[in-house]
Amino acid sequence: MINRYPDKTLVLLAVLISLAGGCDLAYPETVVVNKLDQRVLVRNLSFNGCLWNTVLAYGEATSPGRCLPGEDRVHFEKFDAGAYCQKQADDGTIEGVCACNTDGQPDDNPMDSGLSNEVPTWFNYQTISSFRAGYREFHIFELTPKDIEQDFSVPGPYGH
Amino acid sequence: MAVIIAFWIQFSLPAVPPAEEIPTQEIVVVAARLPGQDPSADSSQIDGQRLRRSARPSALEAIAQEAADVYVSSRGAGIHGIASGASGSINIRGLGGSPNTQVLVVEDDVPDYQGIFGHPIPDAYTPFLIEDVRVIKGGDSVLWGTNAMGGVILIKNRWLHRDGLEIMNDTGYGSYQSLRENAALLWRRGDWDIAGALSVLRTDGQRVGAGGVNVIGVVGARLRLRPELRLSLSNKLLHLSGGDPGPASHPNDDHWYDVWRDSLSLRLDYDGENYSLRLVPYFHIGIHRLYDGFYSQDYLGGGNLVCDFDLIEGLKLKLGAAGEWVDGLVEDRIAREHQPVDPSGNLSVYGQLTYTPAESLTFMAGARGMYHTSYGAIGLYKAGARWEFAQGFFLRSRLARNFRQPTLRELYLPFPTANPDLKPEYALNWDFGLAFERGHFSLSVSGFRTAAENLIKYFGAWPSAEVVNIDQITVWGISAQMALAKLGPLDVRLSGEWQDVGRYTRQNPEGRLTFTVDWLHTFGAHAIMATLSGEWVHGLYMGNYGRDPIPDVFYIDLSARYRYSPADARFVVEPYLVLANPLDRHYAYIKDYPMPGFHVLAGLMVKI
Repeated sequence: MINRYPDKTLVLLAVLISLAGGCDLAYPETVVVNKLDQRVLVRNLSFNGCLWNTVLAYGEATSPGRCLPGEDRVHFEKFDAGAYCQKQADDGTIEGVCACNTDGQPDDNPMDSGLSNEVPTWFNYQTISSFRAGYREFHIFELTPKDIEQDFSVPGPYGH
Repeated sequence: MAVIIAFWIQFSLPAVPPAEEIPTQEIVVVAARLPGQDPSADSSQIDGQRLRRSARPSALEAIAQEAADVYVSSRGAGIHGIASGASGSINIRGLGGSPNTQVLVVEDDVPDYQGIFGHPIPDAYTPFLIEDVRVIKGGDSVLWGTNAMGGVILIKNRWLHRDGLEIMNDTGYGSYQSLRENAALLWRRGDWDIAGALSVLRTDGQRVGAGGVNVIGVVGARLRLRPELRLSLSNKLLHLSGGDPGPASHPNDDHWYDVWRDSLSLRLDYDGENYSLRLVPYFHIGIHRLYDGFYSQDYLGGGNLVCDFDLIEGLKLKLGAAGEWVDGLVEDRIAREHQPVDPSGNLSVYGQLTYTPAESLTFMAGARGMYHTSYGAIGLYKAGARWEFAQGFFLRSRLARNFRQPTLRELYLPFPTANPDLKPEYALNWDFGLAFERGHFSLSVSGFRTAAENLIKYFGAWPSAEVVNIDQITVWGISAQMALAKLGPLDVRLSGEWQDVGRYTRQNPEGRLTFTVDWLHTFGAHAIMATLSGEWVHGLYMGNYGRDPIPDVFYIDLSARYRYSPADARFVVEPYLVLANPLDRHYAYIKDYPMPGFHVLAGLMVKI
């Protein structure tokens, strides 16, 4: 006779194993998409415990991350390549690239090189909106130009 | 500023015997609480077995569960961490330090703190070899010197009391890929005792960057040279690796730490006819590496010689001499910079006189004279009394002047800033209490006043932070504790605290409540145990001056154990299950470091 019912011990073991492993499997999955601008890059995005150490060009998305359930804004670092290029052109720091004067001709008065900052700077930003994610949910959050502000809450170096 | 009269219920219950030692015939013991080294001190005694069976994930949190006036912060499933983002800060009656420099942990009469940072490491304690823990509220710098300012946590480890061998292994696995392995071996034969334990905790943590591995190994050997003369050697080696996960809104996955620490101590005990002598030299060394290039070696060396005399009937005298020295080196391996650090040390002589003119009345007075290489002569004192004015009713009171030397970090290291002109901190702590113990019931109430001066505080933020000695603060509070033992199958413990901490509110809660309900059912060689425990914390802030309030902490834990221990066999098998935070409460002790939601740990303990 075939025993149609699984052994009780195995069932109990399976329940215990699933309990032990299942808590974080129920965490919400979150994806963030860069919809800011063609010339804007974002990196080191974070949302409620999730961290994506990646650089996103316009239209690119993070991989789905299992974040803590709850509410948070999306935090990230932003680099505006267009603004950087314009500034360098104004300062004449890139050979062969310079600002144009009102006649559309190259401007022959570049800024003193000692006053130029050539270091690309990533600024801390966050979304203005807060998003909520619950257990077993899947969310796609888009970064849009009208929904971002500078993030002054980034923790500084605390020391030891 | 609102002044809140605190109501604090103080724990003073006789230790409940371990479950496997409970006889089949019920016996109720009515007796006074063991007074410990200072009979007038307000203290909680916690049995090691309770700590091993606690649902709380670390030893310090398990101690805090047993006494509401001991607050310990947490950030996850068992790992407190090192440096930035670390939890495990201990606060007793308004004093804790930045962090834990005002609470001294003493393990087998050896003070335990780091040479540079001046505080114990919260992950360094495993309950597997602990016999019992006594928490002295109000501190005791007369007996223990620096750092014993707000409280002293005395840990006593186990030896076997008769010839034989005991092996215990506890393995657990649970959420977040958490693995706990604890093994202990105790052996006694003839003139020799051996005790050893290995404790491993490995977890991924409940979020990115919160995982880590803690490995602690302890070994001790004791030789009875003569019945009255014993020589012991003990060594603890620990390796902690993990990271700071950062705030949940800005997590880190690469802020790692890697710490090695070793503590070696020797101990000579001699029991004479009317006196006993104890000599304990010790040495601690630590090597810390952090993700940002930080590297340090720190050293703490010292020794303590204590003699206890029974002078005449009812008159006991304790005389002691102690010395300590701290030093270290610090460098930034990436920037290739060294931070200069000057060592410091102190020598002390101390004494405590205990006079018991009648069986129910005890007076105590003590003093310590210290010479510090940086601060010169320092005087400390204490006095107290304990009186059983009716059967089961006790009154006690104590006044103690305690002290803490500035740490080498506060003096010399820019984390975030330093001040070589810092002066020591002092506290004058006074407490009084009423306790009642009879049969299955005990209740105690204590009021306390902590007055501290020259407190060392950090102000501002990097890069414009400063550290200075401030003026006085005063903390008033009340604690109360109630216990119902062996109420049928139940043991119930309730502990509460309320205090007015003034303006220094950072990680210094106004109120705290802990509760534990144990249910035990035995039937022959079998026993089933279930425990419901929980905690409520109120008035928690991330900043001083009431800034950055943190929502009240509240959660419960459930645990269940089955024990099989045949009468004619010499083994115990005990599978267990811990359901932590089954209500899936979202809470945090540290702002933006959320605690885990509902999670599970299942394990098996075997003892032979």
